[in-house]
Amino acid sequence: MNKKHRMFVRMVLASLIRRRSRMIVALLAVVVGATILSGLGLIYYDVPRQMSAQFRSYGANVIFTPSGDSYITDDEIKKAVSVFPSDKLEGYTPYRYENSKLNNLPVTLAGTDFSSVLKTSPYWHISGELPDGNGKTLVGKKLAEKFGFSTGDSFSMLNSFQVTDDTDLSVIPDYEIYTDPQTGEKYCDHMLDLSLSGILETGGPEEEYIYVTLDDLSALMRSDRGCDLAEVSVAAREEELKGYLDDINNGSGNLTAKPVKRVTASESTVLSKLESLVLIVTAVVLALTMICVATTMMAVIAERRREIGLRKALGALDSSIILEFLSEGLVLGAVGGITGSLLGYLFANTVSMNVFSSAITFRPLLIPVAIIVSVAVTGLACLIPIRSAVDVDPALVLKGE
Amino acid sequence: MKLLELKNVTKRYGSLYALDKVSLGIEKGEWIAIMGPSGSGKSTMMNIISCMDKPTEGQVFFDGKDITKYSRRKLTEFHRDKIGLVFQQFHLINYLNAVENVMVAQYYHSMPDEKEALEALERVGLKDRAKHLPSQLSGGEQQRVCIARALINSPELILADEPTGNLDEANENIVLDLFRQLHKDGTSLIVVTHDPEVGEVAERVVRLEHGKIISDKKNSGFAE
Amino acid sequence: MFFRMIIGAFRRQWKKMLMIALTVALGASIATAMLNVMLDVGDKINEELKAYGSNITVVPNSQAVMSDLYDVEEDEKKDEYLAEETLGEFLTIFWANNITDFAPVLDTVVTVDGNEVQLIGTWFDHHFEFKKKGTVYQRDTGIINLRSWWDITDGEWLDEAKLSGDDYAMIGKKLSETLGVKAGDKIKVKGAKGTEELEITGIFESGDDEENCIFTPLSAAQRISGAEGKYKKAEVSAITSPDDELAVKAARNPDLLSGDEYDLWYCTAYVSSICFQIQEAIPDASARAVRQIADSEGKILEKTELLMALITLMSLIGATLGISNLVTSSVMERSAELALMKAVGAKNGQITLLVLTEIILTAVVGAAAGYFMGYGFAQVIGQSVFSSAIEMSGMVAFLVTVLIIAVTLVGSIPAVRMILRLRPSEVLHGGH
Repeated sequence: MNKKHRMFVRMVLASLIRRRSRMIVALLAVVVGATILSGLGLIYYDVPRQMSAQFRSYGANVIFTPSGDSYITDDEIKKAVSVFPSDKLEGYTPYRYENSKLNNLPVTLAGTDFSSVLKTSPYWHISGELPDGNGKTLVGKKLAEKFGFSTGDSFSMLNSFQVTDDTDLSVIPDYEIYTDPQTGEKYCDHMLDLSLSGILETGGPEEEYIYVTLDDLSALMRSDRGCDLAEVSVAAREEELKGYLDDINNGSGNLTAKPVKRVTASESTVLSKLESLVLIVTAVVLALTMICVATTMMAVIAERRREIGLRKALGALDSSIILEFLSEGLVLGAVGGITGSLLGYLFANTVSMNVFSSAITFRPLLIPVAIIVSVAVTGLACLIPIRSAVDVDPALVLKGE
Repeated sequence: MKLLELKNVTKRYGSLYALDKVSLGIEKGEWIAIMGPSGSGKSTMMNIISCMDKPTEGQVFFDGKDITKYSRRKLTEFHRDKIGLVFQQFHLINYLNAVENVMVAQYYHSMPDEKEALEALERVGLKDRAKHLPSQLSGGEQQRVCIARALINSPELILADEPTGNLDEANENIVLDLFRQLHKDGTSLIVVTHDPEVGEVAERVVRLEHGKIISDKKNSGFAE
Repeated sequence: MFFRMIIGAFRRQWKKMLMIALTVALGASIATAMLNVMLDVGDKINEELKAYGSNITVVPNSQAVMSDLYDVEEDEKKDEYLAEETLGEFLTIFWANNITDFAPVLDTVVTVDGNEVQLIGTWFDHHFEFKKKGTVYQRDTGIINLRSWWDITDGEWLDEAKLSGDDYAMIGKKLSETLGVKAGDKIKVKGAKGTEELEITGIFESGDDEENCIFTPLSAAQRISGAEGKYKKAEVSAITSPDDELAVKAARNPDLLSGDEYDLWYCTAYVSSICFQIQEAIPDASARAVRQIADSEGKILEKTELLMALITLMSLIGATLGISNLVTSSVMERSAELALMKAVGAKNGQITLLVLTEIILTAVVGAAAGYFMGYGFAQVIGQSVFSSAIEMSGMVAFLVTVLIIAVTLVGSIPAVRMILRLRPSEVLHGGH
């Protein structure tokens, strides 16, 4: 670095440090601009992901059904869900439906996995508690009203089946065999004692069902035939989801994966609106902010017309004056950009924590972008008044008050 | 050969003649005061001599070369190499200290050299104030920094526009002493002023009125 | 003299004043646009969320206790209905304007080519008129908006207004494959009370069990099932406010609310209060929130509103900093001029008053321009995102005015302090 370069650095630094109050004003403008740029940028990039997670409150957006007339097994479900990336899979719940009777009235029994049921149906309102194991049940509100059930009650489900010579009765803990007096066929009654943990309110058909664990249902029905369907909740958009589902359906499995169109199609409608809302808001606010930054920079530079005139009178070429002022702008832009992008990150993170209760994904790329934009805006904002200042005759500038 | 020669220089602003066919020659080493009331055209003349303005008609020769034909860039270079400027309002850069303000002139001329800049400040008696900012200096001190800046690149001509206009008498004397010193060292000096005291100390006094030279005579009381 | 000086200042520095006014206008336009969008975003997103379909279902109120029906045989299960006239009551309740769409549903099992199929009678895009106590209520409504996710794979939506008669149907894609029919074909359906030939106008893909169903106009289904003038269920889509503590309390039992709480609850568009009002209007009906839709809606609305509020806050902070910053720098720039005024004997108070008057005048002009710019930006956002205008709130105009004046004054504080500190000699001699 020769003496000339050293003097250059000395001048730029002196201008930045000794003109403190003006530089703080300029720097503040750049910092505000960069903060808004990086803050809104981070929010814009993270909103689809965060919002998509919120949309999971609509519950399952994929259902697995058997391909043929058979049933789907636990292993098949596990294999199919392994297609989804683990961070996108909110949960999956198998369902097995059986018709049964309670007090001689037909009822639908649903076997499910209570530990994951709220992942795929977060909207279930349960008064009482979610069953936490075998022997406990969740009863739909309508059904409970019909039978006058309330939380804490106990009742038994009965399954009568015909006993033939090769019926394996060893799996049933206690049983009683009786013979139909008319036909002579032998029957066995299998009882399942249940205690009512909670009453389910959804406003939908679920309110007519009795939910038990899959194990209880298998024991009652004396078979573990697998499930009728599984509900899956995946934090993915319609198109992305379609890719995963194609992978599953093209596999050799015995199950078909289908999107729940009501959920997926509506989600992509609403989410795309939300996204474009944040995008256009970001664009408008950014554009206005950048103009604000530019006007402030212009005011700060315009004030130095006389200094520019003096430098010209001392023999400076236009290009070297522009270079000096741009370098100041560059330093301001860089310092402001770095500070602003960090503040923007803090801001975006605060927003994310407050709105979505989860941290924002830090995108390192946004720092250089914020710096480049800050430098570019600052530089451009400097250039306009400098250009007009260097074009003015130094004599006029130096004479004119 | 004359250092500077104006031939029939006219400067018009619309219908107003700021300078009207002015011819003037200046020898090397001469100390000239250009005097006249406001609006007499002395500032215009100063601007034309310092190449910051071009005449509407006429020619300006410096070292025998017609500088009115120079391009903008060449004028800037010429001006940087040959002329040092002293202003009424000093025009120091307020965020640079005294020695840095002098170095700025070196920077645009050739190569900044802090030692040389300090020597220049020493010549104007401000060595111990070298690290002060303009706001910490008195008016007289600021004008001396301005003079140090003007002479740092050893110009052939120093142009001073009302150099004492903003100074009290004590400081005025210091500045005039500096001019005497420069004159002694062989530097050509043109001082534009309306202050008779400043005019009196020059070697030759040119009076302007309404854009015309009304008198041009050697100063009888000039003391070498 | 004072006014002359102010006018003089504007004349001499109109460029700088223009810049301040421009910055103030930009700030004010950000504030105006963002505040208006923020205040209206709830309604807008709520309308978008209607894509998910109905959030309330209305069914007959079955008071019958099942305990005395223990021995009833399965096939004797009695269907319960609501009278078609009750549909009009949806338009008479307090929150009728929040009900965006509703449609009756009458389902019955029919036989087509030997297959047992569910047939659903409903409104597609029905023009509905209802007279009560001399007032005529009317509405175009039906499942066309309640099934936004349907893809019509063949043919088109059944258009009740354009078609004459009601012997038309839309059928699910799966069913169409089973039956081997396409749009334009006719199918014979045999119901409890007769056989009818229906022309298929369109085939839809819905991704759920409805793909196995036939949808016909309500009147056709009533004839086929013999349930004339009746429906079994109504789907209602209403714009609702997210549930809060009061709504949760009311959902348990509205009678437990205090008088004030009850009034507030009744006059807020909670899903529970809308359900309550429907039940008041139709005593035979029981209106229930569809939890999947109602709850999720509330959650998403809440998040969106909070998000927009925070983005607005950030923009406001940015705008205010930008304005106060420029005000500060522009006054500082004039230190020489102000010092001169001091030197000729102006008092601090006079100078301060002069500067503040100038700036406030500029800011007011800027703010007024900014308000209209902001109006424009808000409409750009509304039109491009939601294809509808953003409602402008009068409160925003007031808020923006107060904000701008406050910010301008705050921005002037460093400048005023500088004026007080200014020593004329220093400034005039320092060149700056």
